[in-house]
Amino acid sequence: MFIKQYSIYFQKLASLLSLLIIVIFLSLSSPFFLTTDNLMSIGLQMAVIAIMSIGQMWIIISGGIDLSVGSVLALSGVVTTLLISNGFDVASASLIGMVVGSLCGFFNGFLISVGKLPPFISTLGMMGIARGISLIITQGVPVFGLPESFSIIGNGRIANVIPIPVILTVLLALIGHLIITRTPFGRYTYAIGSNFEAARLSGIRTTRNLIYIYLLGGFLSGLAGIVLASRLSTGQPSAGTGYELDVIAACVIGGASLSGGSGTIWGAILGALLIGILRNGCNLLDISAFWQQVAIGAIIVIAVFVDQYQKKGKG
Amino acid sequence: MYKRIFIYILSILFLFQLGCSNRSEETKTRILVSPKGLVLSFWVTVKAGADSAGKEFDAEIIWKGPNQETDIAGQIAIVEDYINKGIDAIVIAACDAQGLIPVLTKAHNKKIPIITIDSGIESDIPCSFIATDNVVAAQKAAQALAMMIGEKGKVACIPFIPGAATSIWREKGFVEEIKNYPKIELLPIRYSQSDVAIGMAAVEDILTAHPDLKGIFAANESGTIGAIQALKTKNKIGKVKIIGFDAAPNEIKALKAGEIDGLIVQDPFKMGYEGVKAAVKSLRGEKIPKRIDTGVYVVTKSNIAEKCIKSLIHN
Repeated sequence: MFIKQYSIYFQKLASLLSLLIIVIFLSLSSPFFLTTDNLMSIGLQMAVIAIMSIGQMWIIISGGIDLSVGSVLALSGVVTTLLISNGFDVASASLIGMVVGSLCGFFNGFLISVGKLPPFISTLGMMGIARGISLIITQGVPVFGLPESFSIIGNGRIANVIPIPVILTVLLALIGHLIITRTPFGRYTYAIGSNFEAARLSGIRTTRNLIYIYLLGGFLSGLAGIVLASRLSTGQPSAGTGYELDVIAACVIGGASLSGGSGTIWGAILGALLIGILRNGCNLLDISAFWQQVAIGAIIVIAVFVDQYQKKGKG
Repeated sequence: MYKRIFIYILSILFLFQLGCSNRSEETKTRILVSPKGLVLSFWVTVKAGADSAGKEFDAEIIWKGPNQETDIAGQIAIVEDYINKGIDAIVIAACDAQGLIPVLTKAHNKKIPIITIDSGIESDIPCSFIATDNVVAAQKAAQALAMMIGEKGKVACIPFIPGAATSIWREKGFVEEIKNYPKIELLPIRYSQSDVAIGMAAVEDILTAHPDLKGIFAANESGTIGAIQALKTKNKIGKVKIIGFDAAPNEIKALKAGEIDGLIVQDPFKMGYEGVKAAVKSLRGEKIPKRIDTGVYVVTKSNIAEKCIKSLIHN
């Protein structure tokens, strides 16, 4: 028991430790790294990925995967900005954008739980559908000319220092953490991911819970889409292409197991932060754009290797 | 079982029917015009040019391109499908200078004339290459930027996709020309990957590492918009000069608002128009020049109202 707990702490520590090492290295090698200004930039740059990784982590814990996050992000961003440019006020347009994201998530969950489709397939389908619809409704042209009031969500700052997306991320992570650790819904998520049949036989309503889980993922992607559109102050139908890989990488670096049943919300945030800091650090140190990709790829492999190694040690 | 398969086949046929419902049955000349992407306003203007030539020479224009400029395989598939379906001529902006050669060779062997526009291929099978001379365009950008910053200080260059011909030429032209100014220091190249969010993050990080940055050359629309957004969040509008590329509506708006200082404007309308015109001519057996330069213009706030410039901005 003691050893098991110890190793869990070590696992959490391992990703935190690598983050710390990178932070110390960057602080020593660039005088600009540890400035408030830069830290807030990193926060802003990673917020969108981090918000989506909360939902993705949830889905991965339940034993699934969501490939449609990037396309759902684009769709909700485009819907919101289109509505605003057609006279809707910011609040109701954003609300509709989030509903659209949630609907995409609902369909994913429905197809997976009721239609018995593998998550990989149904979200792959949604990835194409959502991207296609955002291209159709914009006719491929980015939406622009948005009012200043819309850019507050992505560019506003509280107390003139902390950007709103960063606060939003922390808040969502906190709520997510509380729900997944303290409520039945959270425990069911782990149970479904650990052993679906056992969860079903012990009376957990797997169908309903799976739909909730994917709906949550869709909602968070929708929200991230609005934050991104606001930050860029344009609705880009091509936004978020390839983000699903960043988001899954963040979860894996943060200790999620792709076979389900394990992972934490903080892990997802940690993973997103690590990717964000690596990208920022490479830019600050004037490291070639090509080496950045090598660095991030290497970190993913190392993170999973450490994870596997520990599990072997446990058994 | 058979019933199920029958229903399946029926529904697939129905979907196809939906997709083909507006196909015309005429025996007009059919020309495939394949842009690199569908999203940028640039391609929308190319389409306007192609359509206008299509009307003038009584040809049916089929407008089909991949959603993403990085999707080389997608564009190959489109060309392949239309070769199989039967097409009279192909006007194409190649996603990759090498990757498209095999499939276009196949078309060439079937005696289908090929015209490349905007981005060519490294082969002599196309009848004509109709495009901006991107090296010259970027040299003009370097000269304009150097003049605006008093020929001294740090400048950044944001091309889009490493490996794409247009991106390479613009990078090359800028980097070579800027060397002629000994007091100007060029920072390491950062790529926007044709994604506004990535371009924005890159410029933010450059500004953090080099607060004394004087000028930016962003080599396409997404890089330009990203650079503007980054300057906005860092309160550097006006303090850092931006030379952008192309004339998307939001770029023009930013130029008029004084957020950027110059735009290198190509003539996408002319590319689309001349591309289709060359295709029609070569089908008629007329001779066409191997290379047509469509020219560029440095548009600033002071000359934007001039008539010849206005005609370039087809919004």
